[in-house]
Amino acid sequence: MFKAEIKSETLKGLVSIISTLIDEVKFTVNSDGMSLKAVDPAHVAMIELNIGAKAFESYSATETEIGVDLDKVKSVIKLAGPGETIIMEQDEGQGRLVFKIGNITRRMNLIDTSCMNDPKVPQLTLSANIGILVDQLQKGIRAAESISDHIALKADSEGFELSCEGDTDFASLRVEKAALESLKADSKVCSLYPLEYFSNLIKAIPSGTIVNIELDDDYPVKLVFKLANGESTVSYFLAPRIESD
Amino acid sequence: MANTSFFEEMAERNAATSTTGLCSICKGSRKLCGKDRCPLMIKFYSQQKTMPLLDVKDLVGCSPPAVFVGRYGYPKVDIGPLVPPEFGDTSILDTPERWSGKSIEDIVDMRFRLVRGKYRIDATNFKTAGKIVNNIQELALTEKPVEVEANFRQRPSGRVILDDEVQPFGPSARMDDMKMGNGRFERNLEKNFYDTDLRATEAVVNAYKNGTLISEIQKAFSVGTMGVDKRRRFVPTRWSITAIDDIIGKDLLKDTKYFPTIDDYRVYQWEQLDNRWCIIMMPCTWRYELIEAWYPNTTWNPTGQDIDIISDHEFYEGRSEYAHIGGCYYAARMASNELLLKERRTAGVLVWREAHPGYVMPVGVWNVRENVRQALETKCAHYDSLEGALAHIDRVMDIKQDTWIKNSGVLKDWLIQRRIEDYY
Repeated sequence: MFKAEIKSETLKGLVSIISTLIDEVKFTVNSDGMSLKAVDPAHVAMIELNIGAKAFESYSATETEIGVDLDKVKSVIKLAGPGETIIMEQDEGQGRLVFKIGNITRRMNLIDTSCMNDPKVPQLTLSANIGILVDQLQKGIRAAESISDHIALKADSEGFELSCEGDTDFASLRVEKAALESLKADSKVCSLYPLEYFSNLIKAIPSGTIVNIELDDDYPVKLVFKLANGESTVSYFLAPRIESD
Repeated sequence: MANTSFFEEMAERNAATSTTGLCSICKGSRKLCGKDRCPLMIKFYSQQKTMPLLDVKDLVGCSPPAVFVGRYGYPKVDIGPLVPPEFGDTSILDTPERWSGKSIEDIVDMRFRLVRGKYRIDATNFKTAGKIVNNIQELALTEKPVEVEANFRQRPSGRVILDDEVQPFGPSARMDDMKMGNGRFERNLEKNFYDTDLRATEAVVNAYKNGTLISEIQKAFSVGTMGVDKRRRFVPTRWSITAIDDIIGKDLLKDTKYFPTIDDYRVYQWEQLDNRWCIIMMPCTWRYELIEAWYPNTTWNPTGQDIDIISDHEFYEGRSEYAHIGGCYYAARMASNELLLKERRTAGVLVWREAHPGYVMPVGVWNVRENVRQALETKCAHYDSLEGALAHIDRVMDIKQDTWIKNSGVLKDWLIQRRIEDYY
């Protein structure tokens, strides 16, 4: 059983983050909230999302699984005006999810979740930890785009750097320790990542959010941030590029 | 006497081809241009056989059925039937699906017999162009060879047309009028023709799924017999071939993308017309690449000293720009997806092609499509690792794995970009 009311902005924020990676997802639902684990088709990035019951206007559920096509959910969100509340209810008998926005009712068939397995989450201990306002990262991404298809993330005890080097051009964003929310880096660390994945995610994060970046030498990066007024936690992993000779 | 004038005429017609000045010294016997066989002689022999038969202003014969839509001057293009000077079952002349195993000489020989009638129309506004347009449309939809009489303004002339996408064909002439016999329409194409609300992509896919040959669909597609009524148009043959491969390939991908991956690395190998093919399938989600290596003195590398390598690739999301390799890219993509659909699996597909010096003439995109299909019907070698598969490449291909990897966008990404599961 699953029934919840949610503000359309909150739902939109959540969906736009997930859909940077994947379109069809399985939510695991229980009485405390919903969660999701998914990798993208190329297995380069992974998302782990927990939405607490408090992120919703009202929430009541027992343990169940809901498989949805996010493209369809996006079209539902478009039906709602700003500030409107969307009511979601699972119709277990028919295998459907019913949305109600004001006096509109929208039913959609759920996706079969029996063959969707939760991916394993890599257990990483990464040495550097940086807290940064997402607006800074978005600025850096804008500078890096169209220069190359990968970016370098670097951190040392003095600050954090995002840089991008192409065949002919170079761009970088350097944020000193004072301008960061937090910084913990004992030594210098640096890894390369595919730009497209990184920028799609960063652009989807609402401005003003603080992103926690965990980083190490030639290791996946882990980005942790909160959505829905802090009631929902996202962990995002992105595998590095390693140029060997 | 008659013989000498014939030779002179032939020499004149082929004059443009011998620009290096070597041909007059070589006379087809010493291979001074470095090619395996003399392209002039291949053309000459096939012309010699058919030229006397074509020396007429009114040509009657059984069209396979075949049509051709030119691309120069689009949207004002020349359309017309391809008619051989013979009767009976000529269907093989325009069915590339049945050509594998034939030599370049055989193919040029067959195709040179097809005379092209030319009639100029506006491709985007053809409904006012009258009876000939209707005849051409009917011809393209017809299932079996049908008798066609073409009335030319002058005697057909011109060299064999060679093109990387279009199958070669013979001389051509402006056509004033044509008459044709009755034939039965191909079932699926007929349905598409009369359904004026069905979009062209859906029409193509429906016909394909119901078993119509790609070459037949392409013919019908090129003469504006598919699509929503108002938007129908003639499509130059060259463009339509790629359009069909692309439409069908994309449609197959809609399914194959979501199947489970194959279990190990596979290598398929194949050789035909002095083209050597290796197809590697990797156990990962969809990504695809075609690399072509042209040896010096092959069709598209006539003067080079080195092997020319060109490549194009796409990842899971597909590509939005036209592949600069051209139609071959889409043909091979479609053919590999046919296998994946049959097995209900997905894979990363690398198609590697070496065009050796014996490939002296381009014969059309069908060469790629049919050979990839054939290659994928052979028994493949299985490997546990990419290294094993690449070692196989080293054994059977002239070009070694280092060079392939250097030119491979997919493999570069595969080797550099780590995946989440590497960190469990």
